[in-house]
Amino acid sequence: MVSPFCWGCLTRLRPTPRTLLPSPSSVSRGPAFHTSAVFHAGLRPGSGRGATAVSKFRQPSNASMKKRKKPVEKSRPPPVGERKAIRKRIVLSNPNALEVEGLQELSEETMVDSRLHGTALALPVPMLDQLRAVQAFKPNQGWSIFRRPCTILRQETLQLGRFFDKVSGDGEHKGPFVKKKIISGPSKSGKSVLLLQAMAMGFIKKWVVFTIPEAQELVSATSSYAPLSEEQPHLYVQNEATAALLSRTVVANKAVLSKLRVSQDHPALSAVTPGMTLEGLANLGVQDPASAWTVFQALWGELTATAAAPGLEKNFTPRPPILVTVDGLGHWMTESKYRDAEFKLVHSHDLVLVRHFLRLLKPGGDQPALPNGGALLYATSTTMNPPSVYAFDLILKRAAARAAGFKFNDPRFPRAEAYSNIDPRVLEALTSQKSKHAQEKKLGHQVLGGVTHDEARGFMEYFARSGLLQETISDEWVSEKWTLAGGGVIGELERIGRRLRVAA
Amino acid sequence: MVFILGVNFPERNLVKKALQSFFGIGNDTSARLLARYHIHPTCKVGELANKQVLDLTAALSDMKIENDLRRKVLDDIKRLRETGTTRGRRHALGLPVRGQRTRTQIKTAIKLNRVDRRL
Repeated sequence: MVSPFCWGCLTRLRPTPRTLLPSPSSVSRGPAFHTSAVFHAGLRPGSGRGATAVSKFRQPSNASMKKRKKPVEKSRPPPVGERKAIRKRIVLSNPNALEVEGLQELSEETMVDSRLHGTALALPVPMLDQLRAVQAFKPNQGWSIFRRPCTILRQETLQLGRFFDKVSGDGEHKGPFVKKKIISGPSKSGKSVLLLQAMAMGFIKKWVVFTIPEAQELVSATSSYAPLSEEQPHLYVQNEATAALLSRTVVANKAVLSKLRVSQDHPALSAVTPGMTLEGLANLGVQDPASAWTVFQALWGELTATAAAPGLEKNFTPRPPILVTVDGLGHWMTESKYRDAEFKLVHSHDLVLVRHFLRLLKPGGDQPALPNGGALLYATSTTMNPPSVYAFDLILKRAAARAAGFKFNDPRFPRAEAYSNIDPRVLEALTSQKSKHAQEKKLGHQVLGGVTHDEARGFMEYFARSGLLQETISDEWVSEKWTLAGGGVIGELERIGRRLRVAA
Repeated sequence: MVFILGVNFPERNLVKKALQSFFGIGNDTSARLLARYHIHPTCKVGELANKQVLDLTAALSDMKIENDLRRKVLDDIKRLRETGTTRGRRHALGLPVRGQRTRTQIKTAIKLNRVDRRL
């Protein structure tokens, strides 16, 4: 070992251990004339060895440097389903908001009244249960800040209202017209609320309303599936999802379905009796999900019947029009998360429920999609992280180009890019062909943008009259907010309305 | 409680996790098994139909899993040792088998590589 002393000069090169040398602190701790600190130091407990205390090598001297273990939380997680219930909870009323005076309700008269364009119309209270049953309200929409749920009567809503009136009104133009439309648009532009308004109008006009509130849920492999039959092993039926659809339909359309009776033969369903109501028929599928798909087909057959089967004429009454709404169509345009027996992904179009609703949308079939009239409104969604499908985007672009007046031969008409690996099934399912039926229009496409200035003003006035906004609403002010909301995107306008409430 | 291959699983467990609890079945094999019997990946054990439980049990009993698989792995190592291969010798010495360096970082090999390996 090397000696701590240099033999040449005998000076100390390394610090010797303190035990050998007198500690500097014990020599002088303060001025010589001041002795109290030294005195107290000697009295301190634990300093008995005082000057001779040696700091240990490479050990923390400060006790507070030690890391303390975090206390483990031992609380139990909430019961099963509670967190989801909170996440999905929909609050439709805020008792702190003011009641808006002179508020009109959505009704047969108001939904086509163009004088009310741009004003807020309340949804009738008895209808709220129906709308809840079809899951028309979404948790991320701002229903909970107002006294009662209202919607703005915008231009698109009025158009829709006129169509509903045309199909089930008494005018000379009455007839079983069918509207087929894909609704797209930027985020928060009110696509789902437009569907809600359509559903509300459907309930007012006593249509039968079928809804798929989240298209994603049918393809995300979160409910049971099974091959349809031995003969068609590549088609898959989703019994639970079908039973849920039947359940929604029965609860929401009870008044209509309970007045209609079975008028067709259903050899596949032994439990069906001739005088049975359609409500009873649909309930068969709700009670026994294994037969839900057969029941759904039977119910659809009944509702689209134009005449009774022979021998069952006394049970037949004319069928009402049908409204079908689907929210989040983009999810249906690609492969689902389900797998077949060979572990390949199942295409969404091979799920019978999805196939059924997409086949309705396809124009140019031999049979009219809805022989008794009605509307098929399929909206895209931006909030549910839709997959990017090139073929679907192309179809939407083409529809927009066609609406702008470009012909297929026009060089400006959108074409598929080379090597874009386009999905032929998507292209085939939605390619527009000329309809063979006079009352059925081509597949339409509506891009929902921002609201107009007038509509924005009506919307902001509704905020003010609900007591949420303490501003003087002038044209200039509305114009500013309209611009801030990205050109009147209604969801952004709502956010601005909310934010101002906090600032005021 | 549902019996799958003689093991009792609580009904709230995922079928996929229940399958993966068997030695020799991992993510891929369990996913393929589920797909073969048309069981969706978020299915709980309690939601299985009787037939699906029987199908799964039948499929599992045909597969080489659990003790059969353990025995096979041990037999393989023993065979390598008895035929005097390098791999067998390295197992016996408790050293890395696949040509890794041995200057550092061989703790796993020291721990695991045995002729009578723990499984």
